[in-house]
Amino acid sequence: MENLFWIIAVTGVGTYLFRAGSLVLGSRVKWNERTKEWLSYVSPAVLGAMLGPVLLLSDNRWVSVTDNAVLLAALPTMLIAWKTRRFLLTVTAGILLYALIRYLIL
Amino acid sequence: MNPLDKIRQGLRDVFPVVLAYFPLAVAFGVLASASGMPAHYNFLTSAWIYSGGAQFMLLSLLGDAISPFTIISTLLLVNMRHIMYGTSIGPYVRGWSEPYKWLGAFGLTDEVFAVVSSRLDKNERLSVPYFITVMLAAYGSWLAGTLAGYGLGTLIPSGMAEILGFALPALFIALLFGSERSRADWTAALCGALLATVAALLNAGGIGIVLGGLLGAAVAMKVKPKRQEHS
Repeated sequence: MENLFWIIAVTGVGTYLFRAGSLVLGSRVKWNERTKEWLSYVSPAVLGAMLGPVLLLSDNRWVSVTDNAVLLAALPTMLIAWKTRRFLLTVTAGILLYALIRYLIL
Repeated sequence: MNPLDKIRQGLRDVFPVVLAYFPLAVAFGVLASASGMPAHYNFLTSAWIYSGGAQFMLLSLLGDAISPFTIISTLLLVNMRHIMYGTSIGPYVRGWSEPYKWLGAFGLTDEVFAVVSSRLDKNERLSVPYFITVMLAAYGSWLAGTLAGYGLGTLIPSGMAEILGFALPALFIALLFGSERSRADWTAALCGALLATVAALLNAGGIGIVLGGLLGAAVAMKVKPKRQEHS
């Protein structure tokens, strides 16, 4: 548990420095239009990168679609997000769908 | 707009994040409690790391027998994406005093970034009262949810805690699919997903997210037509 303290402390400091360092630097340097445009694509790219492995893999291995409750719940959740554009509704519906799929099928 | 209006606008914009953070933080509190993490560490994680993705990942990594060094490196690699947030918000806070910049940066989470960046207009600067309002409301919700979750943790069966864990992918889905996206955005997201998945298959998940973010955005530059709505 002593390790846990250091893990939390260092991860927190590192995360803060990422946030603060880039904000302070970003406020001083003038980025050109191309860089700004590239930065605007970073957000969807990172979201995709965080979702991909979670949806397709389990313990870093492929899971077949029929055994993949996360993916089965995620697909309709995407549709809900796209159609409604509502944040909380999407998250709530997603959790309920996942619960249903886990309960009924897997 | 006067500061009071800015605060009001901030509250309006951050409301969905507050609503979503609370149950998500409850899920974290429940899972942390179920995994045997002591209450004060549970709270410290939310108060100090304040990053849903890393916090959930920490719980799963603690379950495996992995060295603290590896855990920290993985979490920091995952959180490197925040550099992109600071960098793209940076130009809009040029007029802020240094202490405000250093303070405001703490609250720059995925969701706060998503909300704030959708508000940004090319030539407008980000207002301090607006941003601090958004930041504090989101942080408050995250902390309150963590505490509530820890309290509930002992009462909730572990199966239910596992189901609450879906809150995290659901949140990312809401962020990705819940706003207007161009073809270039989708290209970025798909490339990012592909690269990160391949990296995870090679057991390099943390670096995969960073590479997916950087290279996915680079590939998207090739398929634009230029977007007009915001930069």
